[in-house]
Amino acid sequence: MVGPLRDKTMKRRAFLISTAGTAAGLMLLPKLSFAAPGQIDWYTGSDANVLDFWTNSVKPAFEAAHPDLKLNLVNASNNAGIQAIGERAVAAMQTNTDPQADFFEQADPQLPQGGIEAGLYVNMKQAGLSNYSKLNPLAIDSDFSLPYRGSQVLLAYDTTRLSAADVPKTWDALVAWIKAHPGQFVYNRPDKGGSGGNFVRRAIHQANGLDPKLFTVGNYTEAFGNEALGKAWELLNDLAPSLYDNGAYSSGNTQSIQLLSQGVVVMTPVWSDQVLQAIAQGVLPDTTGIVQLQDLALCGGFSRCVVLGNGRNREAALKLADFVLTEAMQDAVLNELGGFPGVSWDYVSANLREKFADIIPNSIPTFPSGAWEAAVNDGWYRNVAPAIDRKS
Amino acid sequence: MLGKASARGLVGLLLVALPVSLVGWLVIWPIISAVQRTVWRASPDGAGHFDLSSYVFFFSDAYSLNNLSLTLWTTSVCAALLLVVSLPIALYLRFARGRLASYVQALAILPMFVPSVILAYALIRVLGPNGLIDLLLNAAGLPKLRTPYLTPWGPVIGLVWDNIPLTVLILLSGLGAVGNSAIEAARDVGANRRQRLWHIILPQITTSILVALSFAVLGIFSAFTLPYLLGPASPEMMGPYMQRTFRDLNDPVGAVTQAVVTFGFCIVFGLFYVRSVARNQGK
Repeated sequence: MVGPLRDKTMKRRAFLISTAGTAAGLMLLPKLSFAAPGQIDWYTGSDANVLDFWTNSVKPAFEAAHPDLKLNLVNASNNAGIQAIGERAVAAMQTNTDPQADFFEQADPQLPQGGIEAGLYVNMKQAGLSNYSKLNPLAIDSDFSLPYRGSQVLLAYDTTRLSAADVPKTWDALVAWIKAHPGQFVYNRPDKGGSGGNFVRRAIHQANGLDPKLFTVGNYTEAFGNEALGKAWELLNDLAPSLYDNGAYSSGNTQSIQLLSQGVVVMTPVWSDQVLQAIAQGVLPDTTGIVQLQDLALCGGFSRCVVLGNGRNREAALKLADFVLTEAMQDAVLNELGGFPGVSWDYVSANLREKFADIIPNSIPTFPSGAWEAAVNDGWYRNVAPAIDRKS
Repeated sequence: MLGKASARGLVGLLLVALPVSLVGWLVIWPIISAVQRTVWRASPDGAGHFDLSSYVFFFSDAYSLNNLSLTLWTTSVCAALLLVVSLPIALYLRFARGRLASYVQALAILPMFVPSVILAYALIRVLGPNGLIDLLLNAAGLPKLRTPYLTPWGPVIGLVWDNIPLTVLILLSGLGAVGNSAIEAARDVGANRRQRLWHIILPQITTSILVALSFAVLGIFSAFTLPYLLGPASPEMMGPYMQRTFRDLNDPVGAVTQAVVTFGFCIVFGLFYVRSVARNQGK
């Protein structure tokens, strides 16, 4: 789960899983009441595929490299679960007791508020990690968190119908291609999944001088919003008649992948991890190509881990943090998780670098959430979606 | 004697107290609070005041009205189709005997046990672009049909299929009350099939038809999953529109206003149902 825009259906599923998980967790709690020395208490709020990745790849490798240390992988179900454990750690700090937590697989160090000031999280930059310098500077968000996996929206296409040599690599080339091949491109509604959402954001960047820095969390005003977004709606409305079924929008990330896999469309925006996994699982054929726009990439985001300052196994947890940035683990992030490396591409193995050359971004643009997100979603529904009468 | 009767009355009241208080707490109170929250709004200084602006916005906003009219269109088309599909099935099941009838019954009830998410994905695979229907047509050398997926007809097909079991069951129970003797008597005096249906059967099941339709309409009006997965991006049905307004636009007042408007339409069908049940009991 990267970014706030992931599939809503996945959120509902995650809710069900989390309810079940909470019930199961309650039954497990008595067992975990003491932090064992040398056992790193690790929590994740991410999807099941991430927990599987840690269980099957990271844990065995780490325990083999550090025979005296053990990893205790705990599913906190979702971000709210992680936050609850973070708050418990703050409380433990005040009473100087054991928080029974050492490592969060994905967390925002800004939460709980005041945590950084209270020393809840270790400053990764000053922690002396041997691999810290390898981090992709584009991915660093805070000194207190360590970006170790990312995903980004890319364009997936059917190489049997569009050869890799002809694939569009700039926005203008993409627009020209879509117009020359009506009905062959689809993107999902921007609020229903980040792949379509970030395609819409790419149009916003295009309409506003390719400058992602123009939009910040705090600078939304109605006047600026209407002006900046209005130009993007023009671009998207111009595309609409050339889209799948004369302007239909799928209802989520997976639905776009489904249309691609059924050979209905030739190209669609996708999340990098979802498309790599879909190819690995055979949902999409091996002949699926992926490409990133080279003039300005589509938006993406990183998952960042944190180490708790008052955890009983802090030093061991820092070893783990350093370990996930090693070349072997970062290769595994690419190969097994379908994610992007948190380190610069120079620090993954050469054959992988070559294999993914087409999708290595020059930049990883982001787009603010908050008021902008609401404006983008509502604006799109009001200005772009109804452009064509769908009843006929 | 009197004491015994009043004690029994008390037990009866206690038995209904739980469902009644649940309905009061989970249904009646949210309705009152929703109406109250949308007409009595807090000013920035904290004082409450009477304010109908969210309703004025809804009824002057072409986008919202489009969504409402699509919802009404979908509901009425679905109701009509449901009657056309379910009545023959119910009639067949009422009068047919034998193994085939029980297979038909099982088939008609099946949608009740299929979750709508699964139904939606199955319909995409069958009716969607390059789906099963397209493959069959292609194999027979026929041209492709335009798929209903992502058009307003997508949710219509899904919702009709989903609501067949309930409609058939209610109609069937109404048909159960139609006596064989009346039909046989009509046949004996020379009434043909159509006359028997029109003059003997239908007048006796009007209540069931009304009940079945109001149940279906109430469900369809507030449908979420099927319009969300099968319908077009715009116009939206009220269910997805409410959810989007609340969650994506962080506009609870707007979402509650949409809910109150939806409820206003549903209560009309609810009254139909209550009236026909009351009239039935009065008989």
